[in-house]
Amino acid sequence: MSNLQIFVILSGIVLTILIAWYFWFATKAQTRVAVSESGAQEVAITVKGGYTPDVIVVQKNRPVRLTFTRQESSACSEKVLFPDFNQNALLPEGEQVTLEFTPDKSGEYGFQCQMGMLRGKLIVE
Amino acid sequence: MKLHDPVCGMEIEPQSAFAKREHMGQTFNFCSQSCLDQFDNDPHNYVMTSATTGFNPERTLTRIELPVSGLPLKEHSTHLDSALRALDGVGDVKVNVTANRLEVQYDAQKVDVSRLVGAVKSIGFQIGGANVKIGIENLRCASCVKSIEDELKATQGVLNATVNIATQEATVDYLPQKTTLSQLNAAIETWGYKPRPALSDAPVDQQEEAHAREYRRLMNKFWFATAISVPVLATAYYQFVPFLKNLNMDTLRLLWGVTALLTLPVMFWSGSDFFTGAWASFKHRSANMNTLIALGTGAAWLYSTFAILFPSVFPEGTSEPFYDVVSVVIALVVLGQALELRAKGQSSSAIKKLLGLQAKTARVIRDGKEMDLPVEEVLVGDVIQVRPGEKIPVDGVIVEGSSAVDESMLTGESLPSSKKMGDEVIGATINKTGAFKFRTTKVGKDTALAQIVKMVQDAQNSKAPIARLADTVSGYFVPVVMILAVWTFVTWFVVGPQPQLVYALVTSVTVLIIACPCALGLATPMSLMVGIGKGAENGILIRSGEALQTARALNTVVLDKTGTITKGKPELTDIVISEQSSVTSDQLLKLAASVEKVSEHPLAQAIVEGAQARKLELAEVKDFDAIPGHGVSAKVEGRNILIGNLKLMNREKIALGSLEEQSKSIADDGKTPMFIALDGKAAGIIAVADTVKEDSAEAIKVLQGMGIEVVMITGDNRRTAEAIARRVGVTRVLAEVLPEDKANNIQLLQAEGKKVAMVGDGINDAPALAQADVGLAIGTGTDVAIEASDITLIKGSLKGVVTAIEVSRATMKNIYQNLVGAFIYNTLGVPVAMGLLFPFFGLLLNPLIAGAAMAFSSVTVVGNANRLRGFKPKFSVK
Repeated sequence: MSNLQIFVILSGIVLTILIAWYFWFATKAQTRVAVSESGAQEVAITVKGGYTPDVIVVQKNRPVRLTFTRQESSACSEKVLFPDFNQNALLPEGEQVTLEFTPDKSGEYGFQCQMGMLRGKLIVE
Repeated sequence: MKLHDPVCGMEIEPQSAFAKREHMGQTFNFCSQSCLDQFDNDPHNYVMTSATTGFNPERTLTRIELPVSGLPLKEHSTHLDSALRALDGVGDVKVNVTANRLEVQYDAQKVDVSRLVGAVKSIGFQIGGANVKIGIENLRCASCVKSIEDELKATQGVLNATVNIATQEATVDYLPQKTTLSQLNAAIETWGYKPRPALSDAPVDQQEEAHAREYRRLMNKFWFATAISVPVLATAYYQFVPFLKNLNMDTLRLLWGVTALLTLPVMFWSGSDFFTGAWASFKHRSANMNTLIALGTGAAWLYSTFAILFPSVFPEGTSEPFYDVVSVVIALVVLGQALELRAKGQSSSAIKKLLGLQAKTARVIRDGKEMDLPVEEVLVGDVIQVRPGEKIPVDGVIVEGSSAVDESMLTGESLPSSKKMGDEVIGATINKTGAFKFRTTKVGKDTALAQIVKMVQDAQNSKAPIARLADTVSGYFVPVVMILAVWTFVTWFVVGPQPQLVYALVTSVTVLIIACPCALGLATPMSLMVGIGKGAENGILIRSGEALQTARALNTVVLDKTGTITKGKPELTDIVISEQSSVTSDQLLKLAASVEKVSEHPLAQAIVEGAQARKLELAEVKDFDAIPGHGVSAKVEGRNILIGNLKLMNREKIALGSLEEQSKSIADDGKTPMFIALDGKAAGIIAVADTVKEDSAEAIKVLQGMGIEVVMITGDNRRTAEAIARRVGVTRVLAEVLPEDKANNIQLLQAEGKKVAMVGDGINDAPALAQADVGLAIGTGTDVAIEASDITLIKGSLKGVVTAIEVSRATMKNIYQNLVGAFIYNTLGVPVAMGLLFPFFGLLLNPLIAGAAMAFSSVTVVGNANRLRGFKPKFSVK
């Protein structure tokens, strides 16, 4: 086995570990939502190739007000769904769309576009 | 149930409300202290029923809010107050100094808005009015903004107008009495611009428009990539191109250099979505289809460029580029996205059909003048004229006239219902016979039709539990594919044949390109959307994907008797004359009906209606007396008449003869017999019964044919229940069940290991509907019962149960096909792309074919979902 082949194999192992770590094991940055003057937990989310922020921490039993702004025309992201809370909204490009609901159960709940290409997480504490 | 905070409008759960307040018989819930404080300052301000319009039709006084301007409000508020109060019919007047708003409560019968406006103006104020947003197409030049604004402001009745070039929308405050939307549109047209509905007002049209735009954008990108692909392919396969094959290596290398530059705009314009999308998701530590395409094409381009720049680094024969992979794959995937978008557009046709029920215009009476207005312009409180044969535009209450209205499209009631003053009418229903005027109570998104549309849309966007599996899989899918690509490269490089580098690169790029997470992601939502839409087209409102999925597995259907199998209303069924009777059956019915007309008993109504159906004229009744627990006695046309049960006849010592025997056999049929005696002699029997709906037996037979056990549940006595059950072919009867025990009985059936559906008329069956695996409410399309059930059958017939299960089975089958298809595609495609077949058959996948396969796999999924559109239920709706 040549040195080059050994190098390629080792690179393969390193890349595999990097991919697994980066996408699965590294902890993601979480965004804690502040409670606004009106008593709601408000957060603005930009939709462009993903949700920014995409991991949102909120408190249980307190209304959440999520304002989405979609900044792309790709049809994939035209809807956002919170299947666990039976909430969804159509996101016209460039328009602010607000979704409001009160999370009544704690845990981690995903939100996503209709076909599941873009994903985010709502952590209810 | 969700509530809205009256101050900020936020949706809150009643149990989690910050505080509660009672005011004027209404309960308010608040989300926070600040909202509570605002409410406490002026609680009266928030008393209303419609959150969007502030209009309460139940109250005799109408409330209106008018924006006022022109004078300092503080100093002149008392003038304003007294000027308004001087008008006859004006109740409370409130001036909100800080918000420059005037709130007037007035009696709409005595005074109208234009007189209020006149009074306000008479002391020097100006007044605001309605607010509308109008979209303006292709508004580009900033200077036109000013011109259009000025033109709008110059239009009569316009109070203020602003044009936003960013949103391409004009916002206009205007007085609805003075101008209409068409006049405003005309003002925009004078400057050569085309008005269109504002984006925020027409979500479906807007979505369609956005899809059309996106489709054009994708097709432009596709054609560009295709055009570039032609020369790129020619240089890549130069051996087969007549002119190119004779060129020497240096010239070719130069040509390849040109194609390297040519493919750059393909990558960064045609394929820009893949690269920006990949980067965005990379930043979020996630990966999706974009990542795979970007990695695949990016790697191909980088390798190729490196190979032509430094050919000496590579072993002999490996320094040839494959830019064709870059441009052709991008072209194909973009084409796939465009086709997918087109197919998606077709899936939402059900909503369009529902919206098509909506009337386009309304004949509104303002200022005593009739005018045809687009339905979007109708305001709450407007009075609308409806003529025979016309569609009722919005929801409201009749204030003048009467008619029969066909409400079948929303309530399932096939007979037109008669409407008189004070009755509610529903938008999108059709006025049949008379003309009437009604006052609108709900417009826009508050109407019953809009609520139904919203419900269907919500359900279409919900998730079937089965989708969660696909979601979990696709969450791991892309990184797994990336790791597989890495090891494909390593394996081919280490143990593959010569030229190793080329093989390693081509196979790993092929793996990245062929894997299609989209097919997995699309499998459930597309079918669900079509399936739920198909249900709506057939009068079945399915509330969620979960309900749809559960309905497939049902093996027991429990039917409530009254109102579900039967019409829920007693009808006259038999008239028996005794042998010695001196009257005919019509005469007997006439006498009985005359007496029963005075009675308040529910069965009496059936006799009266029976007589009316035979066009019998009723006579005058004297000495009417109700004998509790027995019946009634009265005098009609000089004859003493007794109507009642056996106890009454025994008490009055009336010989019944053979009638007693006959009454027993009538009762065995589940009917209620009533004896009639004339002048102390038995004259006959009149029987009434809750009759079975015409199509119940047929629907039950089909259900049983589908392998579903049908059970009847009722609070009625066993004899009546079994008589009905026999007639419709139900063998298992749960009779004499108290309303509160219905849910328990459902639970017992579930304990037998059955998947149980409960079908009821919605209100008293609510606990049982909730307990069942699937609750179906029948014939209550506009009712609150929608809330309690998983599925609502708009058409009152039991055939809807059959169709609901059929829709569910067809949709779930489609979803399985999609999921299995997507799964098989990926589990076969990826290993083949890795070169698993190479050692045995020498077979390798071309990356171009991988690109085509990937693009068309998701199109196939959407296409298969669209096949559902051809679904035909056994019982078609008219």
